[in-house]
Amino acid sequence: MSAATAPAPAPAPARARGSKEKVWLVAWLFLLPSFLGFAIFTVGPVIAAAVISLLDWNLFSPPTFVWFENFGRLTGDPTFWASLRNTAIFTFTSVPLSILVSLLLALLLNRGVRWITGFRSLLLLPYATITVAVSFVWMWLYIPTDGLVNRVLGLVGIDGPAWLVSDVWAMPALVFMSVWKSFGFAMVILLAGMQGIPETLYEAARVDGASAWQRFRSITLPMLSPAMFFVVVTSIIGSFQVFDQALIMTNGGPGTSTTTLVMYIYRTGFENYNQGYAAAQSLVLFAFIALITAAQFLTQRRLVHYDQ
Amino acid sequence: MELSRPQLSRRTLMRSGALGVGLAALAGAGCAPRADPDTLSWSMWSSTAAETEVWDDFNAYVEESLGREAIAHLTPSSGYATKMDLQLVSGTQSMVHGVNGWLVPTYAGRGALRPLNDLIEDDPEFDHDDFFEPIRRISSFDDRTYGIGFDVAPMVLYYNKTLFEAEGIATPHPEIAMSWEEFRELAAAFVKPNQYGFCCGPSIDDGISWLYSAGGNVMNTEQTESTLHAPEARHAIDFMVGLFTQDPVTPPIDNLVSTSSLANFLDGNVAMMQNGPWQVLNVRKADFEWDIAPFPAGPAGSLPRLSGSCFGIPTATKDVPMAWELMKVLTSKQALDIYARAGRNNPARQSASTAFAPPPANLGLVQKILAGEVEASGHQYDVTTNWNEVRNLLAQEFPQVFLGQRSVDEFLDSVRPRLDVLMAQNTDNIRQLRMSEGR
Repeated sequence: MSAATAPAPAPAPARARGSKEKVWLVAWLFLLPSFLGFAIFTVGPVIAAAVISLLDWNLFSPPTFVWFENFGRLTGDPTFWASLRNTAIFTFTSVPLSILVSLLLALLLNRGVRWITGFRSLLLLPYATITVAVSFVWMWLYIPTDGLVNRVLGLVGIDGPAWLVSDVWAMPALVFMSVWKSFGFAMVILLAGMQGIPETLYEAARVDGASAWQRFRSITLPMLSPAMFFVVVTSIIGSFQVFDQALIMTNGGPGTSTTTLVMYIYRTGFENYNQGYAAAQSLVLFAFIALITAAQFLTQRRLVHYDQ
Repeated sequence: MELSRPQLSRRTLMRSGALGVGLAALAGAGCAPRADPDTLSWSMWSSTAAETEVWDDFNAYVEESLGREAIAHLTPSSGYATKMDLQLVSGTQSMVHGVNGWLVPTYAGRGALRPLNDLIEDDPEFDHDDFFEPIRRISSFDDRTYGIGFDVAPMVLYYNKTLFEAEGIATPHPEIAMSWEEFRELAAAFVKPNQYGFCCGPSIDDGISWLYSAGGNVMNTEQTESTLHAPEARHAIDFMVGLFTQDPVTPPIDNLVSTSSLANFLDGNVAMMQNGPWQVLNVRKADFEWDIAPFPAGPAGSLPRLSGSCFGIPTATKDVPMAWELMKVLTSKQALDIYARAGRNNPARQSASTAFAPPPANLGLVQKILAGEVEASGHQYDVTTNWNEVRNLLAQEFPQVFLGQRSVDEFLDSVRPRLDVLMAQNTDNIRQLRMSEGR
């Protein structure tokens, strides 16, 4: 077909083009509040933190540029490394434990329990309660002499430790409390995921003679992997930001045994008035969370199944 | 009949949206705090209803004295410093702020408080000499006055008279401090199951009185290097830690956050407590007889921590003459009488001291110590421009020694280099302040 004979593309009617532009405009207007919020409350502070990390600034006096001095200081700061180690220990113990407890409870509730809604709400209560209140309650539970935890341990002949003042047991005490506090959220997500698995898959497996364990391993776990992935990613991010319970229950002690990175950032910035150094620490935390999340997204290709 | 649904056109939607945003902006502007230039404002910490009542009375007195509306911005003590920082940084500060004495160098060293020397010198009506000498020192930094005090007091020894009588043990002398050895023996005499001889917090704020009484300190006089490892300080740490771990005469430490010597003492099974007269109001609730005595005398004497609080004018306050008038009323004899009569603490003015009246019977000891009328004395709480950091470091490392998890040597080895770094930082802060002021 020659160019001379080819029919020229029909020009879009001006009215239709204008209408399309208006749709785009309306779409952008609807998105604008969200974008503005994201820019003002997320992008802006991240950029500000990056700039502040290059400053020596005590909040009151004019700041001075020290470039990467704050990052260099991190390497020789024993409290920073201790808090980073504590945060990692907290995350990599509390998250697996929390997911294990949630998975077991979700499996139980998924077995057609009566009053499932009531149980689900009850088990979600710790998650819905504010951490500060829960922390105070757990401080009472952990009292070495009269606390419920040690009384229960005493019933089975175990002499419980002085939980919150022991440099060995303070961190496990925080982990146990945090698992109790957070399992409800993961349980609800996993339960929702389980209820979305087609019953036909289990029926087919039963016909083929698969045992309960085989059905769990070959159907439930793979089909639950997207929900599990979501829970793991959000739990790890949340755990890296642990602050409230450590501040209230142990104030980071004894020594630095429960000082977490966010607590140390808070102290550096708002108690020691060293905004630049605090910003440098927060960027390191940001980098760690980003790296771990990226690693999770890379591994999900092999471990997470989105097909039905 | 088909009912037509009301439809919202995009144009109407956008108009409504714009209207909504406009209204929200107007509402926001209406809610934003607006500083009325004619309104006096001052900030103070207040954690209980009783405290709030006292400050409300203060405010009423201010309004009556100055004939203008005044607003007292009250914040719980736990969040007061953070709020004050944010107010100072954001320019939303009050004309006058209450400042804990140990934070004066922190704020003054960063240029956040205005020196008051010119105001004091130019005001013949203002009698600075009426204020106890320790509070004048506590409110100063680098030879300048940054605050006018409203309370000041040394730590004292509270004792449970009922328990002393029950054990048949003579109560401490009202004015002569017992020696450390006598104190240890006395405390040990009370120890039996669920009964203790003494309580104090495992913190530097309580430990410092033992350091001073032994002739030690956290740092040298020039504040250039740490001296916690010096023999005097070491002796004090060993003695204090011994009360917790060797004898032990103190109640067990359940946790490091809410452990309160006051709560332990009010339980009624502790013979003695180290605390300040600011707890008198709370101890009056005790269901046993009690009184106060001088802090035990160490090798250097009875030199417990002298603490106080003051009012200061933020550097950013514009109407300085009015702020000064406000501050004079807040620290006047009449205002401090209100404070002292309520039993809050010993007032900073000598002329108002009589308002801080018994119970307990021996409350006059506080004024005698401040006036130097008894042998027992006190030691100004020596602090640096970065005392928050020093305090945080010691709060982190000190309790483990009391818990028996670390030896005193390990503690000192751990904190000494870090304290030296903080002292160097403090020297640098002072140098920078002097440079910025052209001194």
